[in-house]
Amino acid sequence: MTRYALTSDSSVSVEVVSASLACCTLELQAALNSGALTRVSEGGTGPSVIVIAGTVTDALVPSVLELIHSYPGAKVMSFGACATSGGPYWDSPPVSKGIDQFVEVTAYVAGCPPRPDAFIQAIQEISSDRVF
Amino acid sequence: MKHSFIALIEDKCTSCMLCVRECPAWCIHLDSHTVDVTEEGARRPRKVNVLDSFEIDYSLCMYCGVCIDVCPFDALAWDEHRALVTNNREDMLLGIEELGPSGSS
Repeated sequence: MTRYALTSDSSVSVEVVSASLACCTLELQAALNSGALTRVSEGGTGPSVIVIAGTVTDALVPSVLELIHSYPGAKVMSFGACATSGGPYWDSPPVSKGIDQFVEVTAYVAGCPPRPDAFIQAIQEISSDRVF
Repeated sequence: MKHSFIALIEDKCTSCMLCVRECPAWCIHLDSHTVDVTEEGARRPRKVNVLDSFEIDYSLCMYCGVCIDVCPFDALAWDEHRALVTNNREDMLLGIEELGPSGSS
């Protein structure tokens, strides 16, 4: 778990936990290091965000749920098409058709992969507690 | 051009279904009907497709641009107007109204 603050507004910060499941993980790392976010060591009261990045297969669902439930109160972000709906694998039997079947999702980020600014926008929406 | 949004230029669409069939994620849904257009001097009416609905499911879309490439009428185009973030998955299903190019609405 790492705390990140917006480079443009350091009062906005979130703890980011990522479930690294497939190629979106690399895109998530690129978004985290795109310069719009700064890693901070302490301070800030922003929420924790669990980013589900990648294809969630049925076999992985229990592990993903265990991760999510180990951070009570954390917001879940569905990062990319796979986590949201199965993406290009939606007709594959072993792939789950979206994590919102199992947990409440606070933010869906569209794309395959999503662009870094979409991720930053989602972080801003979540941290500001604004209704979308 | 940023790959952030695929816009539909509705009046150019002929409902040919090429984008629907070529989409690797099958995220485009299209409905149309045909009407008879009678032209003076023609021996029989011409059948013309009329677009009823056009939806892109952005929860599936890969932003690959295959639909834009295959469209023979340039009815689909890259557009810059948003990076889609929402808290409701149903909001990711965009119809003709929402798919208009930026500047048109």
